[in-house]
Amino acid sequence: MSNLRRVVLDVLKPMEPDIVELSQMLADLEGVDGVNIAIYEIDRRVENAKVTIEGNNLPYEKVVTIIEENGGAVHSVDEVASGKVLIEDVVTPQD
Amino acid sequence: MSMAQRWDVLREYSRISGTAEIARRYLVMNAFDGVLTIIGVLMGNYMAGVRDVAIVINTGLTTSVAMGVSGLWGAYLTESAERERDLAELEKNTLSNLKNTKIGRASRWAVVIVALVDGLAPLAAALLVMIPLFLSRLIGSVEVSYLLSLVLSLITLFGLGVFLGRISKRNVVIYGLRTLIAGVVSIALGFLLGGHGG
Repeated sequence: MSNLRRVVLDVLKPMEPDIVELSQMLADLEGVDGVNIAIYEIDRRVENAKVTIEGNNLPYEKVVTIIEENGGAVHSVDEVASGKVLIEDVVTPQD
Repeated sequence: MSMAQRWDVLREYSRISGTAEIARRYLVMNAFDGVLTIIGVLMGNYMAGVRDVAIVINTGLTTSVAMGVSGLWGAYLTESAERERDLAELEKNTLSNLKNTKIGRASRWAVVIVALVDGLAPLAAALLVMIPLFLSRLIGSVEVSYLLSLVLSLITLFGLGVFLGRISKRNVVIYGLRTLIAGVVSIALGFLLGGHGG
Protein backbone atom coordinates (compact mmCIF):
# COMPACT_ATOMS: atom_id res chain seq x y z
CA MET A 1 0.00 0.00 0.00
CA SER A 2 1.25 3.47 -0.74
CA ASN A 3 2.99 5.75 1.70
CA LEU A 4 0.52 7.65 3.95
CA ARG A 5 2.15 11.05 4.57
CA ARG A 6 -0.44 13.35 6.09
CA VAL A 7 -3.80 13.00 7.78
CA VAL A 8 -6.01 15.75 9.15
CA LEU A 9 -8.60 14.47 11.62
CA ASP A 10 -11.58 16.08 13.31
CA VAL A 11 -11.52 14.72 16.85
CA LEU A 12 -13.90 15.12 19.76
CA LYS A 13 -12.08 14.50 23.02
CA PRO A 14 -12.58 14.99 26.77
CA MET A 15 -10.56 17.74 28.44
CA GLU A 16 -8.26 15.26 30.15
CA PRO A 17 -5.79 14.07 28.96
CA ASP A 18 -5.01 17.46 27.42
CA ILE A 19 -3.73 18.13 23.91
CA VAL A 20 -0.16 18.59 25.08
CA GLU A 21 -0.05 14.98 26.24
CA LEU A 22 -2.03 13.68 23.27
CA SER A 23 0.27 15.38 20.75
CA GLN A 24 3.32 13.88 22.47
CA MET A 25 1.78 10.41 22.52
CA LEU A 26 1.03 10.66 18.81
CA ALA A 27 4.43 12.13 17.98
CA ASP A 28 6.10 9.20 19.73
CA LEU A 29 4.68 6.77 17.18
CA GLU A 30 7.07 5.30 14.64
CA GLY A 31 6.63 6.94 11.25
CA VAL A 32 5.30 10.20 12.66
CA ASP A 33 7.50 13.22 11.99
CA GLY A 34 5.26 15.84 13.52
CA VAL A 35 1.87 16.53 15.07
CA ASN A 36 -0.21 19.67 15.26
CA ILE A 37 -3.37 19.88 17.36
CA ALA A 38 -5.56 22.95 17.29
CA ILE A 39 -8.70 23.41 19.36
CA TYR A 40 -11.51 25.09 17.51
CA GLU A 41 -14.35 24.57 19.95
CA ILE A 42 -14.60 24.05 23.70
CA ASP A 43 -17.53 22.71 25.63
CA ARG A 44 -18.09 22.10 29.32
CA ARG A 45 -16.56 18.63 29.31
CA VAL A 46 -15.18 18.12 25.79
CA GLU A 47 -13.22 19.93 23.12
CA ASN A 48 -13.12 19.68 19.34
CA ALA A 49 -9.65 19.41 17.89
CA LYS A 50 -8.11 19.47 14.43
CA VAL A 51 -5.28 16.95 14.53
CA THR A 52 -2.70 17.16 11.75
CA ILE A 53 -0.10 14.42 11.54
CA GLU A 54 2.72 14.22 9.04
CA GLY A 55 5.37 11.62 8.51
CA ASN A 56 6.34 8.59 6.48
CA ASN A 57 4.11 5.52 6.36
CA LEU A 58 1.88 6.86 9.05
CA PRO A 59 0.51 4.10 11.32
CA TYR A 60 -3.09 5.22 10.90
CA GLU A 61 -4.66 2.41 12.98
CA LYS A 62 -2.28 3.15 15.86
CA VAL A 63 -3.14 6.86 15.63
CA VAL A 64 -6.85 6.07 15.94
CA THR A 65 -6.17 3.62 18.77
CA ILE A 66 -4.26 6.25 20.77
CA ILE A 67 -6.98 8.82 20.25
CA GLU A 68 -9.68 6.36 21.35
CA GLU A 69 -7.61 5.10 24.27
CA ASN A 70 -7.56 8.65 25.57
CA GLY A 71 -11.30 9.00 25.35
CA GLY A 72 -11.40 10.73 21.96
CA ALA A 73 -13.43 9.92 18.87
CA VAL A 74 -12.42 10.55 15.27
CA HIS A 75 -15.43 12.30 13.80
CA SER A 76 -14.04 12.65 10.30
CA VAL A 77 -10.91 12.45 8.18
CA ASP A 78 -10.77 15.91 6.63
CA GLU A 79 -7.62 15.67 4.56
CA VAL A 80 -5.25 12.95 3.45
CA ALA A 81 -2.01 12.96 1.47
CA SER A 82 -0.24 9.81 0.30
CA GLY A 83 2.51 8.89 -2.11
CA LYS A 84 6.14 9.66 -2.76
CA VAL A 85 5.55 13.42 -2.74
CA LEU A 86 3.37 15.57 -0.47
CA ILE A 87 0.74 17.26 -2.64
CA GLU A 88 -1.05 20.34 -1.32
CA ASP A 89 -4.65 21.13 -2.11
CA VAL A 90 -4.70 23.11 -5.39
CA VAL A 91 -6.95 26.20 -5.86
CA THR A 92 -9.15 25.84 -8.91
CA PRO A 93 -11.45 28.43 -10.58
CA GLN A 94 -14.40 26.51 -9.11
CA ASP A 95 -13.20 27.35 -5.59
CA MET B 1 5.71 -3.67 31.62
CA SER B 2 8.52 -2.73 34.02
CA MET B 3 7.86 -1.41 37.55
CA ALA B 4 8.90 2.10 36.51
CA GLN B 5 6.49 2.01 33.56
CA ARG B 6 3.70 0.65 35.75
CA TRP B 7 4.34 3.43 38.25
CA ASP B 8 4.19 6.03 35.44
CA VAL B 9 0.87 4.63 34.25
CA LEU B 10 -0.59 4.79 37.77
CA ARG B 11 0.62 8.36 38.19
CA GLU B 12 -1.05 9.26 34.92
CA TYR B 13 -4.31 7.68 36.11
CA SER B 14 -4.04 9.70 39.32
CA ARG B 15 -3.57 12.87 37.34
CA ILE B 16 -6.50 12.19 35.02
CA SER B 17 -8.88 11.34 37.87
CA GLY B 18 -7.65 13.94 40.38
CA THR B 19 -6.95 11.22 42.95
CA ALA B 20 -4.20 13.01 44.85
CA GLU B 21 -6.45 15.85 45.93
CA ILE B 22 -9.26 13.57 47.09
CA ALA B 23 -6.91 11.14 48.80
CA ARG B 24 -5.25 13.99 50.73
CA ARG B 25 -8.60 15.26 51.90
CA TYR B 26 -9.79 11.82 53.03
CA LEU B 27 -6.46 11.02 54.65
CA VAL B 28 -6.59 14.03 56.95
CA MET B 29 -10.32 13.83 57.63
CA ASN B 30 -10.25 10.16 58.50
CA ALA B 31 -7.03 10.20 60.48
CA PHE B 32 -8.58 13.05 62.46
CA ASP B 33 -11.69 10.89 63.04
CA GLY B 34 -9.54 7.96 64.04
CA VAL B 35 -7.57 9.91 66.63
CA LEU B 36 -10.62 11.56 68.18
CA THR B 37 -12.46 8.24 68.36
CA ILE B 38 -9.56 6.68 70.23
CA ILE B 39 -9.47 9.69 72.58
CA GLY B 40 -13.12 8.84 73.26
CA VAL B 41 -12.27 5.19 73.92
CA LEU B 42 -9.39 6.16 76.22
CA MET B 43 -11.37 8.71 78.18
CA GLY B 44 -14.37 6.37 78.44
CA ASN B 45 -12.28 3.53 79.77
CA TYR B 46 -10.27 5.75 82.12
CA MET B 47 -13.25 7.50 83.65
CA ALA B 48 -15.05 4.14 84.05
CA GLY B 49 -12.12 3.02 86.16
CA VAL B 50 -10.70 0.48 83.71
CA ARG B 51 -7.10 -0.18 84.70
CA ASP B 52 -6.72 -3.51 82.89
CA VAL B 53 -4.77 -2.60 79.78
CA ALA B 54 -6.07 -5.65 77.89
CA ILE B 55 -9.63 -4.28 78.05
CA VAL B 56 -8.58 -0.88 76.72
CA ILE B 57 -6.53 -2.45 73.96
CA ASN B 58 -9.41 -4.73 72.96
CA THR B 59 -11.88 -1.86 72.86
CA GLY B 60 -9.42 0.29 71.00
CA LEU B 61 -8.55 -2.38 68.45
CA THR B 62 -12.11 -3.40 67.69
CA THR B 63 -13.10 0.26 67.36
CA SER B 64 -10.14 0.94 65.04
CA VAL B 65 -10.96 -2.04 62.85
CA ALA B 66 -14.62 -1.01 62.69
CA MET B 67 -13.53 2.46 61.59
CA GLY B 68 -11.31 0.93 58.95
CA VAL B 69 -14.07 -1.26 57.58
CA SER B 70 -16.53 1.61 57.66
CA GLY B 71 -14.10 3.87 55.85
CA LEU B 72 -13.18 1.33 53.20
CA TRP B 73 -16.73 0.16 52.50
CA GLY B 74 -18.33 3.58 52.65
CA ALA B 75 -15.73 5.21 50.43
CA TYR B 76 -15.82 2.35 47.93
CA LEU B 77 -19.60 2.59 47.54
CA THR B 78 -19.84 6.38 47.41
CA GLU B 79 -16.79 6.99 45.23
CA SER B 80 -17.89 4.20 42.86
CA ALA B 81 -21.32 5.73 42.47
CA GLU B 82 -19.93 9.24 41.93
CA ARG B 83 -17.33 8.14 39.42
CA GLU B 84 -19.81 6.07 37.47
CA ARG B 85 -22.17 9.01 37.26
CA ASP B 86 -19.34 11.25 36.12
CA LEU B 87 -18.16 8.77 33.50
CA ALA B 88 -21.70 8.30 32.18
CA GLU B 89 -22.03 12.06 31.79
CA LEU B 90 -18.73 12.24 29.94
CA GLU B 91 -19.78 9.35 27.72
CA LYS B 92 -22.93 11.26 26.85
CA ASN B 93 -20.80 14.22 25.84
CA THR B 94 -18.21 12.27 23.84
CA LEU B 95 -20.79 9.86 22.39
CA SER B 96 -18.47 6.91 23.00
CA ASN B 97 -18.00 4.10 25.49
CA LEU B 98 -15.13 5.08 27.76
CA LYS B 99 -15.01 1.87 29.80
CA ASN B 100 -11.86 0.50 28.15
CA THR B 101 -10.07 3.82 27.75
CA LYS B 102 -7.46 5.40 29.97
CA ILE B 103 -10.22 7.54 31.44
CA GLY B 104 -12.33 4.54 32.45
CA ARG B 105 -9.33 2.82 34.01
CA ALA B 106 -8.27 6.03 35.79
CA SER B 107 -11.77 6.28 37.23
CA ARG B 108 -11.68 2.72 38.60
CA TRP B 109 -8.19 3.26 39.97
CA ALA B 110 -9.37 6.37 41.82
CA VAL B 111 -12.11 4.34 43.54
CA VAL B 112 -9.56 1.79 44.79
CA ILE B 113 -7.14 4.42 46.09
CA VAL B 114 -9.80 6.50 47.80
CA ALA B 115 -11.31 3.42 49.46
CA LEU B 116 -7.90 2.29 50.73
CA VAL B 117 -7.02 5.72 52.09
CA ASP B 118 -10.43 6.07 53.71
CA GLY B 119 -10.09 2.67 55.36
CA LEU B 120 -6.43 2.71 56.35
CA ALA B 121 -6.16 6.32 57.57
CA PRO B 122 -8.36 6.03 60.68
CA LEU B 123 -7.01 2.55 61.43
CA ALA B 124 -3.38 3.63 61.20
CA ALA B 125 -3.95 6.81 63.20
CA ALA B 126 -5.77 4.88 65.93
CA LEU B 127 -3.09 2.21 66.13
CA LEU B 128 -0.37 4.86 66.31
CA VAL B 129 -2.06 6.56 69.24
CA MET B 130 -2.48 3.21 71.02
CA ILE B 131 1.22 2.35 70.94
CA PRO B 132 1.83 3.39 74.60
CA LEU B 133 -0.94 0.96 75.59
CA PHE B 134 0.69 -1.87 73.67
CA LEU B 135 3.93 -1.02 75.47
CA SER B 136 2.33 -0.57 78.92
CA ARG B 137 4.26 -3.51 80.33
CA LEU B 138 7.51 -1.79 79.37
CA ILE B 139 6.23 1.55 80.68
CA GLY B 140 5.20 -0.09 83.94
CA SER B 141 2.10 1.93 84.77
CA VAL B 142 -1.35 1.87 83.17
CA GLU B 143 -2.00 5.46 84.18
CA VAL B 144 1.17 6.61 82.46
CA SER B 145 0.22 4.61 79.35
CA TYR B 146 -3.15 6.35 79.25
CA LEU B 147 -1.41 9.69 79.61
CA LEU B 148 1.16 8.96 76.94
CA SER B 149 -1.56 7.82 74.54
CA LEU B 150 -3.45 11.05 75.09
CA VAL B 151 -0.29 13.08 74.59
CA LEU B 152 0.49 11.13 71.43
CA SER B 153 -3.04 11.76 70.17
CA LEU B 154 -2.60 15.50 70.70
CA ILE B 155 0.75 15.45 68.91
CA THR B 156 -0.84 13.54 66.01
CA LEU B 157 -3.67 16.04 65.81
CA PHE B 158 -1.16 18.88 65.77
CA GLY B 159 0.76 17.07 63.04
CA LEU B 160 -2.37 16.71 60.93
CA GLY B 161 -2.99 20.43 61.32
CA VAL B 162 0.55 21.20 60.23
CA PHE B 163 0.02 19.01 57.18
CA LEU B 164 -3.15 20.94 56.35
CA GLY B 165 -1.30 24.20 56.84
CA ARG B 166 1.37 23.11 54.39
CA ILE B 167 -1.21 22.08 51.79
CA SER B 168 -2.97 25.41 51.99
CA LYS B 169 0.33 27.30 52.30
CA ARG B 170 -0.86 29.08 55.42
CA ASN B 171 0.58 29.36 58.91
CA VAL B 172 1.26 25.76 59.94
CA VAL B 173 1.31 26.52 63.68
CA ILE B 174 -2.14 28.12 63.57
CA TYR B 175 -3.55 25.11 61.69
CA GLY B 176 -1.82 22.75 64.08
CA LEU B 177 -3.38 24.54 67.05
CA ARG B 178 -6.82 24.39 65.43
CA THR B 179 -6.73 20.61 65.18
CA LEU B 180 -5.09 20.30 68.57
CA ILE B 181 -7.96 22.18 70.22
CA ALA B 182 -10.40 19.50 69.00
CA GLY B 183 -8.43 16.93 70.94
CA VAL B 184 -8.22 19.10 74.04
CA VAL B 185 -11.98 19.69 73.94
CA SER B 186 -12.65 15.94 73.55
CA ILE B 187 -10.47 15.14 76.54
CA ALA B 188 -12.10 17.88 78.63
CA LEU B 189 -15.59 16.67 77.73
CA GLY B 190 -14.50 13.14 78.54
CA PHE B 191 -13.54 14.23 82.05
CA LEU B 192 -16.80 16.11 82.53
CA LEU B 193 -19.02 13.30 81.23
CA GLY B 194 -17.07 10.62 83.05
CA GLY B 195 -17.39 12.52 86.31
CA HIS B 196 -21.21 12.61 85.94
CA GLY B 197 -21.59 8.98 84.87
CA GLY B 198 -19.51 7.49 87.68
